[in-house]
Amino acid sequence: MTDLDFLAVHGLAIRKAGSPASVATLLGADETEVAAALDEAVAADRVAGARGTFMVTAAGQAWLSQSYPDKFGAVRADDDLVHAYDRFEKVNVDLRTLMTDWQTMPAGDTRVSNDHSDPDYDAKIIDRLGALHERAERVIGRAAAVVPRLQTHLDRLESAYDSVLAGHHDYVSGVRIDSYHTVWFELHEDLLRILDRTRQE
Amino acid sequence: MNSTAMMTSAPALTLDGSTVPPRDLIGGKAWSLARMLSLGLRVPPAFVIPVPQCRQYLESDSGLADEVAHAVREGIADLEHRTGRRFGDPDNPLLVSVRSGAAVSMPGMMDTILNLGMTDEIEAALAKSTGNPTYARDTHARFCHAFGDIVLKADLDPYVTGPTSSDVRDAVLSDTRRTIPVDPHAQLEDAICAVFDSWQSSRAKAYRRHWKIAEEGGTAVTVQAMVFGNLDERSGTGVLFTRNPLSGAPDPYGEWLPKGQGDDVVGGTHAVLTLAQMQQDLPEAVEELLGWADALEREHTEVQDIEFTVESGTVFLLQTRAAKRSPEAAVRIAVDLVDEGLIDPLQALSRVTPEQVRSVLMPSLEADVAASAETLATGEPACPGIATGVGVEDPDEAVTRATQGEKIVLVRPTTSPNDVHGMIAAVAVVTDLGGATSHAAVVTRALGRPSVVGVGTGVASTLIGRELTVDGRTGRVYDGVLQLAETRVEDDETLGRIATWAAESCAINVAQQAPSGVDVVDLDLLIAGLEDPDAGLDEDSIVTALAGREAARGAVFTSEDGVRAAHRARVLVVNDSPLLVQLTALRTLGTA
Repeated sequence: MTDLDFLAVHGLAIRKAGSPASVATLLGADETEVAAALDEAVAADRVAGARGTFMVTAAGQAWLSQSYPDKFGAVRADDDLVHAYDRFEKVNVDLRTLMTDWQTMPAGDTRVSNDHSDPDYDAKIIDRLGALHERAERVIGRAAAVVPRLQTHLDRLESAYDSVLAGHHDYVSGVRIDSYHTVWFELHEDLLRILDRTRQE
Repeated sequence: MNSTAMMTSAPALTLDGSTVPPRDLIGGKAWSLARMLSLGLRVPPAFVIPVPQCRQYLESDSGLADEVAHAVREGIADLEHRTGRRFGDPDNPLLVSVRSGAAVSMPGMMDTILNLGMTDEIEAALAKSTGNPTYARDTHARFCHAFGDIVLKADLDPYVTGPTSSDVRDAVLSDTRRTIPVDPHAQLEDAICAVFDSWQSSRAKAYRRHWKIAEEGGTAVTVQAMVFGNLDERSGTGVLFTRNPLSGAPDPYGEWLPKGQGDDVVGGTHAVLTLAQMQQDLPEAVEELLGWADALEREHTEVQDIEFTVESGTVFLLQTRAAKRSPEAAVRIAVDLVDEGLIDPLQALSRVTPEQVRSVLMPSLEADVAASAETLATGEPACPGIATGVGVEDPDEAVTRATQGEKIVLVRPTTSPNDVHGMIAAVAVVTDLGGATSHAAVVTRALGRPSVVGVGTGVASTLIGRELTVDGRTGRVYDGVLQLAETRVEDDETLGRIATWAAESCAINVAQQAPSGVDVVDLDLLIAGLEDPDAGLDEDSIVTALAGREAARGAVFTSEDGVRAAHRARVLVVNDSPLLVQLTALRTLGTA
C-alpha cells in the first residue's frame, strides 16, 4: 500500500464526501493519482462512490482508526508539532469569535444577523481576518515544518483570503465553497486526526 | 505647483475646528474629527501628520524626516498646552492615541494604539493616585502588549489581566528581538513609522491591486490626547444611540460605565448603567450630550452611535457613526426620519434592505401559543428564525429523509465539518454543546437555518424521532409542530408606508396576484427542471425564458439578475411579497 492509498481515504474522511479533484486539492496531490487510490479503496470496501462522488464507508472509518497510530505515531510525539497545535487552538478561538462577528452585528445589547449593509463594519472584520491570517501563517508554518503536507491548507487559506480581499465575501464563511472557514475546519480536522485529539465543541 | 505639492509643505496640522482640511489630505478619521469640531462639539485635542509625509517617508528610506520629527514635538507641545498635561510627566501625564487614516479605508492599515506615553514612573504614580495598583499595572501592560502586537508584530496571546509590563516586554523581546522604547517620544516616533509602513503591508497591497487603487497614495497619522474616564467619581465612558437600536423608538438609548475607560464598555467586562442612572449623577453632562446627539443626527440625517468619555464632569466626543440596528428598527427609523423631515421617501427606501424586510416578515410564535406549548430543551439562540420538523441525529439519514420531502431538525451532541451536508438538508439544528461561536452556530448562520446550541449534554438525543418546533430567536425547542403567525405587510402600518413608497417608485410592475385571465410562467419550476438547478439562470437566460410572456413568478425575481430581466422583458412580476421584489428593483435599477 502506498502512502497515497492511505492519505486519499484520510483526506476523503476530512471532507466527508467529495470528488477525487476535491480530495487532491485538500492533500495537495495529483488528481489522477488520487482517483486511482480512491478506486483501489472502493475495491477494498473502504470507500463507496457513485458518479464521481465518494464517501468513506464504516469499514473504511474503522480501518483509518486502526491505521492512524502506525501512520502518525512518530509525529504525535513531536514537541514542535504539539506546540504548533496548541498555538493553533488559541488562534482557533479567535477565528470562531471573528466568524460570529462576521455573521452577526451588535444592535444595542443584543446581536442581529449581519445583512452586510454596512461596508465599514464588514471591512473591519475583513481586516481582522487578515491579522489573524498572519498569525495562522506562523503557526501552520511551524506545523508544516513537521508534516510538510499541511502547507497545502495554508495555501488554500491564502487563496480564500485573497478572494475575500477581491470582494468575494462568500469566501469568509460560505459553506459550499472552499471559504476561509471551510478550509480552516478541514485543517482543524486534519490536525485532530493526526494528533488523536477530540474537538472541544 | 499643484495643490498636493503645496500641501506637502506642512509636516503636521493642528485640528481646532477653524477649518476642515480635505479628506484626501488628512484621512477619514481626522476629517471626521475636524467635522465634529466645526460643529462646535468638544473632542479631545489632536494633530495630524498628513498623507504626503507618508509618501516622502516611504520614498526616502531613511526614517522619519527631521522636519516631521520636529513638527511632532511641536504638536505634542501644543497638546500639552491645550490639556495642561505633560508628555512623560508622572504627576500629570499626557497620554495619546495614534491612529492610521487613509482617504479610503483599506485592510492592513495599522490598528489604533492607546495610552502611548506610558512609563514605569507613570504607572507608579497612577497606582498611587487611583489607589488601584492592579489597574495601573494592567494599563501599562496592555499598552506594552498593544505596542508589541501592532508596532513590533510580536505573536502574543490576547492580553488578560495578570502579566506585568516587564513580562510583556520580555515576551516581545524573545519573539521579535526588538524592544519597546521607554522614552515616550521614541514610542511615538516608532508608532508613526509603523503607521506609514503599514501602507506597504501585504494585505494593503493585495487590496489595492484588486481594487485598482493607486500605490502612490499613503496614510495620514492622527495623534490625539487621551481623556481620562477613570479619573474620579465624575468620570466615565459610554455609548449613546440617538434612537433605540432594537425597536427603533425615538428615545435615546445609552450605556454608561462610571470610572471606565475606552474599551471597557465594548469589552463587556464591566456592569454598565443606563442613561437615566447617569442623569442622576451628571445631569449637565447628559443634557449637553443629548444636545450633541440631536445635532449629529441632523448633520448626518441618520441615527448615530456616539462614543463619549467624561473627565471630571466634562464630556468629550470620541467617535460617531451610523448606528447598527435590528431589522424592525431599520424600518421604523426610516419612516420616522421622513416624518421628521430629515430625509425623503426615496432615501428612506435606500435605508431598508430586502433582507431586513424578509427578516421582519419571518413567521413568529405568538406568546400564547408559546406559553401553552411544552418546552423540551432550552439553549443559546444561535441563528434566528423558526422552523418545525422531526428530530434526526444522523446527518446521512437527515439527507435521505429530506430528499423524500420530510422536514428534518438535525439534533446532535455537537457538529463538525462531517455534518455539514446534514445541516444543509435540515430546516433547523439543535446541539448539546457549544455557544454562539461554535461550529454549529457559524454554519447555521451562514445557511440561514434557525439553531439552538448548548441545550445540555444528552438532551439532543431525547429529541430524536419527535416532532419539534425550534425557535432560534429565544433558544427554545418546543414539543410538536406549533402554529406560526405570519406577519403581512398590509397589517403593519410602518411597513405599509414603505410598501406604498416602493410601489410608487419601482421601475417594474409587481402584483401580489395575477389579474384574471393572465397566464403566469413559474420560473422556480423551470429552474428545478434544469440539469444543475443550483447554478440557476443568469439575466440573459431569464429574458429568453420570459419571451412572449405577460407575467411571471419565482424566487429569482428577488435577485439582481431577475429584476433586470423582468425590466428588459417588460413582464408583470407576481410575488406574495411585492415589497421584496420592489426593494430589489430599486437597488438594482434605480427609480422609475
